[in-house]
Amino acid sequence: MGRTSTNAWRVGRDALIATVACSVIGLAFNAIRSDGIPLVASEAYDLFVPCPEPLGEVEGLAVTDPWVQDDRSLRIDARSPEEFAAWHLSGARNVPFDYLEGVPDEVVRQVAASGAVRVVVYGDGGNPDSGRELARELAGRGVRHVFFVQGGAPALRSSGREVPTGGAEEPR
Amino acid sequence: MRRIVLVLSVLATGFVPLLARADGPCEGLSASQRAVADQVLASQHPYDACDGTFVECLKARPVAPLVRRLADWVCRKAAAGQDAAAITRSLEKRALSMLRPGKTVTMDLSAAPVAGCTEARVTVTAYLCARCPYCARLVPALHREVTSGRLAGRVALRFRLFPIKSHEHSTEANVAVAAAMSLGKGWEYLLRAYRGIDAFSTSVLSDWAADVGLDRGAFQAAQDSPATREAVVASKKEGLRNGVESTPTIFINGRRWLGDLDLDTLVDALEEEVEALR
Repeated sequence: MGRTSTNAWRVGRDALIATVACSVIGLAFNAIRSDGIPLVASEAYDLFVPCPEPLGEVEGLAVTDPWVQDDRSLRIDARSPEEFAAWHLSGARNVPFDYLEGVPDEVVRQVAASGAVRVVVYGDGGNPDSGRELARELAGRGVRHVFFVQGGAPALRSSGREVPTGGAEEPR
Repeated sequence: MRRIVLVLSVLATGFVPLLARADGPCEGLSASQRAVADQVLASQHPYDACDGTFVECLKARPVAPLVRRLADWVCRKAAAGQDAAAITRSLEKRALSMLRPGKTVTMDLSAAPVAGCTEARVTVTAYLCARCPYCARLVPALHREVTSGRLAGRVALRFRLFPIKSHEHSTEANVAVAAAMSLGKGWEYLLRAYRGIDAFSTSVLSDWAADVGLDRGAFQAAQDSPATREAVVASKKEGLRNGVESTPTIFINGRRWLGDLDLDTLVDALEEEVEALR
Protein backbone atom coordinates (compact mmCIF):
# COMPACT_ATOMS: atom_id res chain seq x y z
CA MET A 1 0.00 0.00 0.00
CA GLY A 2 2.76 2.41 1.05
CA ARG A 3 4.85 1.45 -2.00
CA THR A 4 1.90 2.10 -4.36
CA SER A 5 1.31 5.47 -2.80
CA THR A 6 4.97 6.43 -3.22
CA ASN A 7 4.95 5.42 -6.88
CA ALA A 8 1.80 7.46 -7.54
CA TRP A 9 3.40 10.47 -5.94
CA ARG A 10 6.51 10.04 -8.11
CA VAL A 11 4.46 9.70 -11.29
CA GLY A 12 2.52 12.82 -10.38
CA ARG A 13 5.70 14.72 -9.63
CA ASP A 14 7.29 13.61 -12.92
CA ALA A 15 4.16 14.61 -14.84
CA LEU A 16 4.27 18.03 -13.23
CA ILE A 17 7.95 18.41 -14.06
CA ALA A 18 7.32 17.34 -17.66
CA THR A 19 4.40 19.77 -18.00
CA VAL A 20 6.36 22.69 -16.60
CA ALA A 21 9.45 21.88 -18.65
CA CYS A 22 7.47 21.49 -21.88
CA SER A 23 5.67 24.77 -21.21
CA VAL A 24 8.92 26.61 -20.60
CA ILE A 25 10.50 25.20 -23.76
CA GLY A 26 7.37 25.94 -25.80
CA LEU A 27 7.14 29.51 -24.54
CA ALA A 28 10.84 30.06 -25.12
CA PHE A 29 10.56 28.74 -28.67
CA ASN A 30 7.49 30.89 -29.31
CA ALA A 31 9.36 33.91 -28.03
CA ILE A 32 12.26 33.48 -30.46
CA ARG A 33 10.06 32.81 -33.49
CA SER A 34 9.72 35.78 -35.81
CA ASP A 35 6.01 35.00 -36.22
CA GLY A 36 5.36 33.84 -32.68
CA ILE A 37 1.81 33.56 -31.45
CA PRO A 38 0.82 36.58 -29.33
CA LEU A 39 0.00 35.39 -25.83
CA VAL A 40 -2.27 38.32 -25.17
CA ALA A 41 -4.58 39.74 -27.83
CA SER A 42 -3.31 43.19 -28.70
CA GLU A 43 -6.57 44.33 -30.29
CA ALA A 44 -10.18 43.33 -30.34
CA TYR A 45 -11.29 40.96 -33.03
CA ASP A 46 -12.95 42.81 -35.86
CA LEU A 47 -14.47 41.57 -39.05
CA PHE A 48 -13.46 43.90 -41.85
CA VAL A 49 -14.72 43.69 -45.38
CA PRO A 50 -14.18 46.00 -48.34
CA CYS A 51 -16.63 48.89 -48.42
CA PRO A 52 -19.07 48.72 -51.33
CA GLU A 53 -20.93 51.64 -52.82
CA PRO A 54 -24.61 50.77 -52.22
CA LEU A 55 -25.62 50.27 -55.84
CA GLY A 56 -28.26 48.13 -57.49
CA GLU A 57 -28.40 46.45 -60.85
CA VAL A 58 -30.25 48.40 -63.54
CA GLU A 59 -31.01 47.82 -67.20
CA GLY A 60 -30.44 50.32 -69.96
CA LEU A 61 -33.23 51.30 -72.35
CA ALA A 62 -32.73 52.46 -75.92
CA VAL A 63 -34.11 55.94 -76.59
CA THR A 64 -36.69 54.31 -78.87
CA ASP A 65 -37.97 52.03 -76.14
CA PRO A 66 -41.71 52.63 -75.57
CA TRP A 67 -41.17 52.60 -71.82
CA VAL A 68 -39.26 55.90 -72.09
CA GLN A 69 -42.38 57.73 -73.28
CA ASP A 70 -44.91 55.58 -71.44
CA ASP A 71 -47.11 57.70 -69.17
CA ARG A 72 -46.90 55.00 -66.54
CA SER A 73 -43.13 55.60 -66.27
CA LEU A 74 -41.78 58.09 -63.79
CA ARG A 75 -39.16 60.00 -65.81
CA ILE A 76 -36.27 61.44 -63.85
CA ASP A 77 -33.70 63.86 -65.20
CA ALA A 78 -30.37 63.41 -63.38
CA ARG A 79 -28.71 66.51 -64.80
CA SER A 80 -28.15 69.86 -63.14
CA PRO A 81 -31.08 72.25 -62.59
CA GLU A 82 -29.63 74.55 -65.28
CA GLU A 83 -29.51 71.77 -67.85
CA PHE A 84 -32.96 70.64 -66.79
CA ALA A 85 -34.35 74.14 -67.26
CA ALA A 86 -32.88 74.34 -70.74
CA TRP A 87 -34.43 71.09 -71.91
CA HIS A 88 -36.11 68.07 -70.41
CA LEU A 89 -38.63 65.42 -71.26
CA SER A 90 -42.19 66.43 -70.59
CA GLY A 91 -43.30 65.43 -67.14
CA ALA A 92 -39.75 64.64 -66.00
CA ARG A 93 -38.70 65.40 -62.46
CA ASN A 94 -35.30 66.85 -61.75
CA VAL A 95 -33.16 64.90 -59.27
CA PRO A 96 -29.64 66.25 -59.86
CA PHE A 97 -27.08 63.50 -59.40
CA ASP A 98 -24.08 64.27 -57.23
CA TYR A 99 -21.05 62.00 -57.39
CA LEU A 100 -20.20 62.64 -53.75
CA GLU A 101 -23.47 63.14 -51.91
CA GLY A 102 -26.29 60.63 -51.85
CA VAL A 103 -29.83 61.42 -52.97
CA PRO A 104 -31.74 62.81 -49.94
CA ASP A 105 -33.84 60.18 -48.18
CA GLU A 106 -36.95 62.27 -48.71
CA VAL A 107 -36.48 62.23 -52.49
CA VAL A 108 -35.90 58.46 -52.49
CA ARG A 109 -39.12 58.03 -50.53
CA GLN A 110 -41.00 60.24 -52.98
CA VAL A 111 -39.74 58.26 -55.95
CA ALA A 112 -40.53 54.93 -54.31
CA ALA A 113 -44.02 56.08 -53.42
CA SER A 114 -44.79 57.69 -56.78
CA GLY A 115 -47.08 54.88 -57.88
CA ALA A 116 -45.38 54.67 -61.28
CA VAL A 117 -44.99 51.27 -62.91
CA ARG A 118 -41.32 51.92 -63.48
CA VAL A 119 -38.70 54.62 -63.03
CA VAL A 120 -36.79 55.76 -66.12
CA VAL A 121 -33.74 57.91 -65.46
CA TYR A 122 -31.78 59.85 -68.03
CA GLY A 123 -28.65 61.86 -67.44
CA ASP A 124 -25.84 63.58 -69.28
CA GLY A 125 -24.97 60.53 -71.37
CA GLY A 126 -21.31 60.91 -70.44
CA ASN A 127 -18.80 58.35 -69.28
CA PRO A 128 -19.77 57.73 -66.56
CA ASP A 129 -23.39 58.59 -67.32
CA SER A 130 -25.08 60.46 -64.48
CA GLY A 131 -28.41 58.85 -65.45
CA ARG A 132 -27.07 55.34 -65.06
CA GLU A 133 -25.34 56.23 -61.81
CA LEU A 134 -28.51 57.77 -60.36
CA ALA A 135 -30.52 54.74 -61.47
CA ARG A 136 -28.02 52.42 -59.76
CA GLU A 137 -28.15 54.49 -56.60
CA LEU A 138 -31.96 54.49 -56.49
CA ALA A 139 -32.02 50.74 -57.10
CA GLY A 140 -29.41 50.22 -54.40
CA ARG A 141 -31.58 52.11 -51.96
CA GLY A 142 -34.60 49.96 -52.52
CA VAL A 143 -36.48 51.56 -55.42
CA ARG A 144 -37.73 48.80 -57.72
CA HIS A 145 -38.02 48.64 -61.51
CA VAL A 146 -35.46 51.34 -62.22
CA PHE A 147 -34.06 51.78 -65.72
CA PHE A 148 -31.83 54.31 -67.42
CA VAL A 149 -31.83 55.70 -70.95
CA GLN A 150 -28.68 54.74 -72.83
CA GLY A 151 -26.96 57.86 -74.13
CA GLY A 152 -28.97 60.08 -71.81
CA ALA A 153 -30.35 63.48 -72.77
CA PRO A 154 -28.09 63.96 -75.83
CA ALA A 155 -29.35 60.69 -77.31
CA LEU A 156 -32.95 61.59 -76.55
CA ARG A 157 -32.61 64.97 -78.21
CA SER A 158 -30.88 63.65 -81.29
CA SER A 159 -33.31 60.77 -81.69
CA GLY A 160 -36.05 63.12 -82.84
CA ARG A 161 -38.49 61.26 -80.61
CA GLU A 162 -38.39 63.69 -77.75
CA VAL A 163 -41.47 64.80 -75.96
CA PRO A 164 -41.66 68.61 -76.02
CA THR A 165 -40.05 70.41 -73.15
CA GLY A 166 -42.31 70.99 -70.21
CA GLY A 167 -41.99 73.44 -67.34
CA ALA A 168 -39.29 72.85 -64.78
CA GLU A 169 -40.60 70.39 -62.26
CA GLU A 170 -39.06 69.68 -58.93
CA PRO A 171 -39.33 66.28 -57.32
CA ARG A 172 -42.63 65.93 -55.58
CA MET B 1 16.70 5.38 -16.18
CA ARG B 2 13.32 6.93 -15.61
CA ARG B 3 14.94 10.35 -15.36
CA ILE B 4 16.76 9.87 -18.63
CA VAL B 5 13.49 8.95 -20.35
CA LEU B 6 11.84 11.98 -18.77
CA VAL B 7 14.53 14.37 -19.94
CA LEU B 8 14.55 12.92 -23.45
CA SER B 9 10.77 13.13 -23.72
CA VAL B 10 10.78 16.74 -22.58
CA LEU B 11 13.48 17.65 -25.08
CA ALA B 12 11.69 15.80 -27.87
CA THR B 13 8.42 17.54 -27.05
CA GLY B 14 10.03 20.94 -27.11
CA PHE B 15 11.98 20.47 -30.30
CA VAL B 16 9.37 18.78 -32.46
CA PRO B 17 7.91 22.13 -33.51
CA LEU B 18 11.39 23.48 -34.14
CA LEU B 19 12.24 20.58 -36.45
CA ALA B 20 8.86 20.76 -38.11
CA ARG B 21 9.36 24.40 -39.02
CA ALA B 22 12.74 23.93 -40.54
CA ASP B 23 11.71 24.86 -44.10
CA GLY B 24 9.09 27.05 -45.71
CA PRO B 25 5.38 27.47 -45.18
CA CYS B 26 4.59 24.00 -46.56
CA GLU B 27 6.39 22.40 -43.61
CA GLY B 28 4.94 22.27 -40.18
CA LEU B 29 1.30 22.15 -41.26
CA SER B 30 -1.09 20.16 -39.15
CA ALA B 31 -2.46 16.95 -40.64
CA SER B 32 -5.71 18.59 -41.75
CA GLN B 33 -3.92 21.64 -43.16
CA ARG B 34 -1.49 19.35 -44.94
CA ALA B 35 -4.39 17.46 -46.48
CA VAL B 36 -5.93 20.68 -47.77
CA ALA B 37 -2.62 21.87 -49.24
CA ASP B 38 -1.93 18.47 -50.80
CA GLN B 39 -5.39 18.43 -52.38
CA VAL B 40 -4.84 21.81 -54.01
CA LEU B 41 -1.27 21.12 -55.06
CA ALA B 42 -2.23 17.79 -56.61
CA SER B 43 -5.18 19.14 -58.58
CA GLN B 44 -4.33 22.71 -59.54
CA HIS B 45 -1.86 24.10 -62.06
CA PRO B 46 0.34 27.15 -61.70
CA TYR B 47 -0.98 29.73 -64.13
CA ASP B 48 2.43 30.32 -65.64
CA ALA B 49 5.96 28.87 -65.79
CA CYS B 50 4.93 25.18 -65.84
CA ASP B 51 2.19 23.17 -67.50
CA GLY B 52 1.73 20.38 -64.94
CA THR B 53 0.05 20.31 -61.59
CA PHE B 54 1.87 21.87 -58.68
CA VAL B 55 3.01 18.46 -57.52
CA GLU B 56 4.47 17.68 -60.94
CA CYS B 57 6.02 21.12 -61.30
CA LEU B 58 7.61 20.91 -57.86
CA LYS B 59 9.42 17.73 -58.93
CA ALA B 60 11.11 19.52 -61.82
CA ARG B 61 14.69 20.69 -61.30
CA PRO B 62 15.15 23.52 -60.93
CA VAL B 63 11.75 24.46 -59.60
CA ALA B 64 10.47 27.61 -61.33
CA PRO B 65 10.43 30.52 -58.85
CA LEU B 66 6.77 31.25 -59.61
CA VAL B 67 5.83 27.64 -58.91
CA ARG B 68 7.61 27.74 -55.56
CA ARG B 69 6.03 31.11 -54.72
CA LEU B 70 2.51 29.93 -55.50
CA ALA B 71 2.97 26.61 -53.71
CA ASP B 72 4.16 28.43 -50.61
CA TRP B 73 1.18 30.76 -50.88
CA VAL B 74 -1.18 27.78 -51.09
CA CYS B 75 0.37 26.39 -47.92
CA ARG B 76 0.03 29.70 -46.12
CA LYS B 77 -3.64 29.79 -47.09
CA ALA B 78 -4.07 26.26 -45.77
CA ALA B 79 -2.26 27.22 -42.57
CA ALA B 80 -4.68 30.14 -42.22
CA GLY B 81 -7.55 27.69 -42.18
CA GLN B 82 -8.93 28.07 -45.71
CA ASP B 83 -10.40 25.01 -47.36
CA ALA B 84 -9.38 23.65 -50.75
CA ALA B 85 -12.29 25.25 -52.60
CA ALA B 86 -11.54 28.69 -51.20
CA ILE B 87 -7.85 28.40 -52.03
CA THR B 88 -8.67 27.26 -55.55
CA ARG B 89 -10.97 30.25 -56.05
CA SER B 90 -8.29 32.58 -54.73
CA LEU B 91 -5.77 31.03 -57.10
CA GLU B 92 -8.09 31.53 -60.07
CA LYS B 93 -8.66 35.17 -59.15
CA ARG B 94 -4.95 35.69 -58.71
CA ALA B 95 -4.34 34.19 -62.13
CA LEU B 96 -6.89 36.53 -63.72
CA SER B 97 -5.14 39.46 -62.08
CA MET B 98 -1.57 38.53 -62.85
CA LEU B 99 -1.59 37.04 -66.32
CA ARG B 100 -0.15 39.38 -68.91
CA PRO B 101 -1.17 41.00 -71.12
CA GLY B 102 -4.35 41.71 -69.21
CA LYS B 103 -6.79 44.52 -69.67
CA THR B 104 -5.33 47.74 -68.35
CA VAL B 105 -7.19 50.86 -67.36
CA THR B 106 -6.40 54.53 -67.76
CA MET B 107 -5.70 56.52 -64.64
CA ASP B 108 -4.63 60.11 -64.22
CA LEU B 109 -1.76 59.70 -61.78
CA SER B 110 -0.33 63.18 -62.29
CA ALA B 111 -1.69 64.36 -58.96
CA ALA B 112 -1.73 61.00 -57.19
CA PRO B 113 0.71 61.04 -54.26
CA VAL B 114 3.42 58.42 -54.52
CA ALA B 115 5.01 56.37 -51.76
CA GLY B 116 7.95 54.01 -52.13
CA CYS B 117 10.24 53.92 -55.09
CA THR B 118 9.23 56.55 -57.62
CA GLU B 119 11.34 54.89 -60.32
CA ALA B 120 9.89 51.43 -59.73
CA ARG B 121 8.65 49.39 -62.66
CA VAL B 122 5.75 48.19 -60.56
CA THR B 123 3.08 50.65 -59.53
CA VAL B 124 0.19 49.68 -57.34
CA THR B 125 -2.71 52.12 -57.28
CA ALA B 126 -5.50 51.97 -54.73
CA TYR B 127 -8.88 53.59 -55.12
CA LEU B 128 -9.84 54.33 -51.55
CA CYS B 129 -12.17 56.28 -49.34
CA ALA B 130 -10.81 58.25 -46.40
CA ARG B 131 -13.68 56.91 -44.27
CA CYS B 132 -13.31 53.24 -45.23
CA PRO B 133 -12.42 51.06 -42.21
CA TYR B 134 -11.02 48.29 -44.39
CA CYS B 135 -8.76 50.78 -46.17
CA ALA B 136 -7.67 52.06 -42.76
CA ARG B 137 -6.27 48.61 -42.00
CA LEU B 138 -4.86 47.62 -45.37
CA VAL B 139 -3.47 50.83 -46.83
CA PRO B 140 -1.17 51.89 -43.96
CA ALA B 141 0.21 48.34 -43.84
CA LEU B 142 0.81 48.36 -47.58
CA HIS B 143 2.41 51.80 -47.25
CA ARG B 144 4.82 50.37 -44.67
CA GLU B 145 5.69 47.50 -46.98
CA VAL B 146 6.57 49.76 -49.91
CA THR B 147 8.44 52.33 -47.85
CA SER B 148 10.37 50.19 -45.39
CA GLY B 149 9.21 46.60 -45.68
CA ARG B 150 9.35 43.72 -48.09
CA LEU B 151 8.64 45.90 -51.15
CA ALA B 152 10.95 48.78 -50.31
CA GLY B 153 12.80 50.09 -53.33
CA ARG B 154 10.85 47.92 -55.74
CA VAL B 155 7.27 49.19 -55.81
CA ALA B 156 5.54 52.56 -56.03
CA LEU B 157 2.22 52.99 -54.24
CA ARG B 158 -0.30 55.60 -55.32
CA PHE B 159 -3.86 56.33 -54.38
CA ARG B 160 -6.95 57.82 -55.98
CA LEU B 161 -9.95 58.98 -54.01
CA PHE B 162 -13.25 57.17 -54.34
CA PRO B 163 -15.63 58.46 -51.65
CA ILE B 164 -18.23 55.90 -50.66
CA LYS B 165 -21.54 57.66 -50.15
CA SER B 166 -22.70 55.37 -47.36
CA HIS B 167 -19.73 56.41 -45.22
CA GLU B 168 -20.74 59.22 -42.95
CA HIS B 169 -18.95 62.48 -43.82
CA SER B 170 -17.13 60.84 -46.70
CA THR B 171 -17.30 64.04 -48.75
CA GLU B 172 -15.71 66.17 -46.05
CA ALA B 173 -13.05 63.57 -45.29
CA ASN B 174 -12.08 62.98 -48.91
CA VAL B 175 -12.10 66.67 -49.78
CA ALA B 176 -9.77 67.17 -46.81
CA VAL B 177 -7.38 64.56 -48.18
CA ALA B 178 -7.55 66.21 -51.60
CA ALA B 179 -6.79 69.55 -49.96
CA ALA B 180 -3.73 68.04 -48.30
CA MET B 181 -2.73 66.50 -51.64
CA SER B 182 -2.84 69.91 -53.26
CA LEU B 183 -0.47 71.13 -50.54
CA GLY B 184 1.94 68.22 -50.99
CA LYS B 185 0.98 66.19 -47.91
CA GLY B 186 -1.44 63.69 -49.36
CA TRP B 187 0.05 60.51 -47.92
CA GLU B 188 0.83 62.07 -44.56
CA TYR B 189 -2.72 63.34 -44.19
CA LEU B 190 -4.32 60.12 -45.38
CA LEU B 191 -2.33 58.03 -42.91
CA ARG B 192 -3.21 60.49 -40.14
CA ALA B 193 -6.87 60.21 -41.07
CA TYR B 194 -6.71 56.43 -40.96
CA ARG B 195 -5.03 56.49 -37.56
CA GLY B 196 -7.89 58.58 -36.26
CA ILE B 197 -10.70 56.96 -38.18
CA ASP B 198 -12.53 55.89 -35.03
CA ALA B 199 -12.35 59.40 -33.60
CA PHE B 200 -13.47 61.16 -36.75
CA SER B 201 -15.43 64.37 -36.72
CA THR B 202 -15.36 67.26 -39.14
CA SER B 203 -13.86 69.43 -36.41
CA VAL B 204 -10.62 67.42 -36.31
CA LEU B 205 -9.80 67.80 -39.99
CA SER B 206 -7.75 70.96 -39.51
CA ASP B 207 -6.11 69.49 -36.39
CA TRP B 208 -4.91 66.59 -38.50
CA ALA B 209 -3.60 69.08 -41.07
CA ALA B 210 -1.59 70.75 -38.34
CA ASP B 211 -0.38 67.34 -37.15
CA VAL B 212 1.20 66.68 -40.54
CA GLY B 213 2.79 70.11 -40.73
CA LEU B 214 0.26 72.00 -42.82
CA ASP B 215 -0.71 75.57 -42.18
CA ARG B 216 -4.31 75.65 -40.98
CA GLY B 217 -5.18 78.69 -43.06
CA ALA B 218 -3.76 77.26 -46.27
CA PHE B 219 -5.48 73.95 -45.57
CA GLN B 220 -8.81 75.65 -44.96
CA ALA B 221 -8.47 77.63 -48.20
CA ALA B 222 -7.69 74.45 -50.14
CA GLN B 223 -10.66 72.69 -48.51
CA ASP B 224 -12.99 75.50 -49.52
CA SER B 225 -11.72 75.73 -53.08
CA PRO B 226 -14.19 74.42 -55.67
CA ALA B 227 -11.22 72.99 -57.55
CA THR B 228 -10.53 70.61 -54.67
CA ARG B 229 -14.04 69.20 -54.72
CA GLU B 230 -13.89 68.97 -58.51
CA ALA B 231 -10.67 66.97 -58.21
CA VAL B 232 -12.42 64.50 -55.92
CA VAL B 233 -15.36 64.23 -58.32
CA ALA B 234 -12.96 63.67 -61.23
CA SER B 235 -11.21 60.93 -59.29
CA LYS B 236 -14.49 59.22 -58.48
CA LYS B 237 -15.69 59.46 -62.08
CA GLU B 238 -12.42 57.94 -63.22
CA GLY B 239 -12.95 55.11 -60.73
CA LEU B 240 -16.44 54.49 -62.06
CA ARG B 241 -15.08 54.37 -65.62
CA ASN B 242 -12.59 51.79 -64.41
CA GLY B 243 -15.30 49.66 -62.85
CA VAL B 244 -14.62 50.53 -59.22
CA GLU B 245 -17.58 49.86 -56.94
CA SER B 246 -15.95 49.39 -53.56
CA THR B 247 -12.90 50.41 -51.62
CA PRO B 248 -10.15 49.49 -51.59
CA THR B 249 -9.88 48.53 -55.25
CA ILE B 250 -6.34 47.78 -56.29
CA PHE B 251 -4.66 48.01 -59.69
CA ILE B 252 -1.21 46.56 -60.32
CA ASN B 253 0.44 48.28 -63.27
CA GLY B 254 -3.04 49.20 -64.48
CA ARG B 255 -4.46 45.69 -64.21
CA ARG B 256 -7.24 45.20 -61.73
CA TRP B 257 -6.36 43.02 -58.76
CA LEU B 258 -9.17 40.52 -58.29
CA GLY B 259 -7.45 38.37 -55.70
CA ASP B 260 -7.70 38.34 -51.95
CA LEU B 261 -7.31 41.69 -50.24
CA ASP B 262 -5.10 40.52 -47.41
CA LEU B 263 -1.70 42.11 -47.01
CA ASP B 264 0.40 38.97 -47.43
CA THR B 265 -1.31 37.92 -50.65
CA LEU B 266 -0.95 41.41 -52.07
CA VAL B 267 2.72 41.63 -51.13
CA ASP B 268 3.31 38.19 -52.62
CA ALA B 269 1.60 39.19 -55.88
CA LEU B 270 3.59 42.41 -56.05
CA GLU B 271 6.83 40.50 -55.52
CA GLU B 272 5.71 38.22 -58.34
CA GLU B 273 5.15 41.25 -60.57
CA VAL B 274 8.59 42.61 -59.69
CA GLU B 275 10.20 39.28 -60.60
CA ALA B 276 8.24 39.05 -63.84
CA LEU B 277 9.47 42.46 -64.98
CA ARG B 278 13.06 41.94 -63.85
